[in-house]
Amino acid sequence: MEGILVEVKNISKNYAGVKALDKVDMVIRKGEVRCLVGENGSGKSTLIKVIAGVENPDEGEITIGGKSHKHIRAIEAIREGIQVIYQDLSLFPNLTVAENISLNYMVEKDRKIINWNEVKNIAQNALREIGEEIDLSDTVGNLSMAKRQIVAICRALIQDAKLIIMDEPTTALTRDDVDHLFSVIKKLKSKGISILFVTHKLSEIFQVSDVVTILRDGKKVGDYKTEDLDNEKLTLLMTGKKIEYINYVYEESKKYKTLLRVENLTRIGHFKNITFDLKEGEILGITGLVGSGRTELALSIFGLNPADSGKIYVNEKLVNIKSPKDAKNLGISYLPEDRLTQGLFLSQSIENNITVTVLNKVLNRFFLIDRAKKKNMSQFWIKNVDIKTPSMELLAQNLSGGNQQKVVLAKWLATDPKIFILDGPTIGIDVASKSNIYKIIKKLASEGMGIIIISDEIPEVLRNCNRIIVMRNGKIIKEIDKVSQIAEDELLNIVIGKEFEGVNL
Amino acid sequence: MIKKIFSYNESYLFFILLAFVIALTIVNPSFFTLENLFDLLKNSAGTAILAMGVFIVLLSGGIDVSFTAIAIAGEYVAVNLLNALGISNIYLAFAISCSLGILLGVINAILISIFELPTLIATLGTLNFFHGALLTFLGTKAVNVGQLPNCFKVFGSKNIFTLIKSDGTQYGLSVYVLILIAVVIISWIILRFTMLGRGIYAIGGNKEAAKRGGFNVVKIQFFIYCYVGFLAGIMGVMHVSLIQYSNPMYIVGDELSVIAAVVLGGASITGGSGSVIGTLLGVSMITILEKNLVLIGLSSYWHKFFIGLIITLGVSATYYQAKVRGRKTLSYLKQKTY
Repeated sequence: MEGILVEVKNISKNYAGVKALDKVDMVIRKGEVRCLVGENGSGKSTLIKVIAGVENPDEGEITIGGKSHKHIRAIEAIREGIQVIYQDLSLFPNLTVAENISLNYMVEKDRKIINWNEVKNIAQNALREIGEEIDLSDTVGNLSMAKRQIVAICRALIQDAKLIIMDEPTTALTRDDVDHLFSVIKKLKSKGISILFVTHKLSEIFQVSDVVTILRDGKKVGDYKTEDLDNEKLTLLMTGKKIEYINYVYEESKKYKTLLRVENLTRIGHFKNITFDLKEGEILGITGLVGSGRTELALSIFGLNPADSGKIYVNEKLVNIKSPKDAKNLGISYLPEDRLTQGLFLSQSIENNITVTVLNKVLNRFFLIDRAKKKNMSQFWIKNVDIKTPSMELLAQNLSGGNQQKVVLAKWLATDPKIFILDGPTIGIDVASKSNIYKIIKKLASEGMGIIIISDEIPEVLRNCNRIIVMRNGKIIKEIDKVSQIAEDELLNIVIGKEFEGVNL
Repeated sequence: MIKKIFSYNESYLFFILLAFVIALTIVNPSFFTLENLFDLLKNSAGTAILAMGVFIVLLSGGIDVSFTAIAIAGEYVAVNLLNALGISNIYLAFAISCSLGILLGVINAILISIFELPTLIATLGTLNFFHGALLTFLGTKAVNVGQLPNCFKVFGSKNIFTLIKSDGTQYGLSVYVLILIAVVIISWIILRFTMLGRGIYAIGGNKEAAKRGGFNVVKIQFFIYCYVGFLAGIMGVMHVSLIQYSNPMYIVGDELSVIAAVVLGGASITGGSGSVIGTLLGVSMITILEKNLVLIGLSSYWHKFFIGLIITLGVSATYYQAKVRGRKTLSYLKQKTY
């Protein structure tokens, strides 16, 4: 068994009767980059936790470095060189880079006294090992997400990591940062460290991995060499069904009115001289890197981040939007980027979440809330956007990402918007639910709603929008009127600023 | 160099304090004398010791409002026990007061680290529980100077050295200063050079990460609340020796003024940041303000007003900074997540 670092055999795990993992096998070799993919609820997180010793499996065994365990404790896993970098990174925002890198090591070595020179040296060596430079005395709370990521990797490294497990590390990173992270991963690989990379994003799988392990409904679908896979095949294997994308066709007609017109909108430090319009039935894509000003722009139109200068017209009338309430009254809705903290009341029922925007529509004649009306309203929307739930009493936090997003959609659709801004409508949502949400969006547009999709996923805007605006550094740098005439990599290059010479669109 | 100085919050506080002292000296030249300085040091040493404890609690992301009840309990029990035993020994007084302080600290620690109660709720409960128990079971009778064991009076007037003024009266630097210095240095060493101290910073920054990183959070919290109890015990004995009168209704009620001093010293109310020096500056500020309100022509009720104002502004500033930072990184409207 040369070169095998970790082997899990026949692992099963039940949570309250639900099979999270069902007889899963996996072998991780030294120095390999393994992607673990699957939709939400496919068992990825459970498998990671089992390997890290955070959860005990009901059945099966784990072999690490030739030693076989029925259960492994978290501290044993760490001593065997298994390090997990969780999505939240588990850093101390109030402490310096040096301390964040070294502290866990000192705890593990059971030190009582701090030697500040040692703290600095350990951190410096770790940074040098992967060729990174970060000021050791910087406070981690002031670093960018990308640099925090590096700090977390260094911390894992100094604890003699043989396997680093990264749980969706790219969620909060810009495209440049992701590329940079991948170069670090390659360096780690060349040092013989194995990486288990958990992700949702198909493009990343092809960029970084050697082997892909696919899970579906707690069962392993199989291990595949990355070069044997393509987008379509991967999607099929992950979802178990073929998903077809149909581009949105917008039939321009004179009778379509302009719903929204933005003129020279400026917010200092965020965006500058933004001008565009949106017609009935259009799906307008706004794309750009993180920090390009796309979300800030949306927030301004929705009144959360009012602009310093410029004009907004709704239905050809000049309006002054100072708060989300103004926007709502004008028929503008905004689906936020982060549904967990901004879009939902997680500890409230689906019913309450859907009706919260329209409580004024479910009043009885004493102006009190009419329970029956409220129930009907919520029932209607659950059916309309196809939320899969046994009951509307279920709390929002117990739904899958896809269904949660549909609740947010329903909540805003209930206000009967004319203009709907969707910011990252499918972030963290599995492939099947994605196509479901796209279908809803297209249906709404074909019924005359004006929709803006803000996204940094190029395929998302290409497949769903009839017109695309590209933003960079707070400015519109490109407008693409005929989406069907641009290829994915061309658009990507415009977004990241490597425009092809001589491309005229 | 100047830029570096101003990158520390403490620098601002220091210069504000300096300006304040200069202003007071202009109003009343007798303010800026060695005698007044010694007097201020003696009077504020107890508060400063309590503030060290509160600072460490705030650093860990918690809050403690029960320490005044612990201090008065330690003091009152020590005085009464010494009287009952007929012994006059200041070391025994400290031993009794500090042991009781640690014991009551353990109760706080159990509630906070094992039952995981929110620290404000837990200590608000124990504040009343401790004080109520003291008044119920030991009584409310004050011990006046005549009944007080002699050791307190001796300790209260003990000086490291004495100076003689031109008019022949004496003044000196109280031993209180030595105790304060010892407490400050020990606290600083713990926070700066021990894993325990870094653990306190760590749980104040991200408790979940501290757990995952292998810190024994329960143990650290036990230390914190026992240390606060211990310091409160010390302060109790210093307090009775200073005013030579032991009334179980005293000290309780001053919690906010100590917390205000710590917050003014730059400690974040949400945990994880602040410094020993800042805390001392904060205490100086609050003490000078309190003792000199009359000097600048304001009634002593203004003190309460200022304390309230400082806490409100201090807390607002912390949250406002977090909000501004959040806006920069686009995560505003979001909770603090790391």
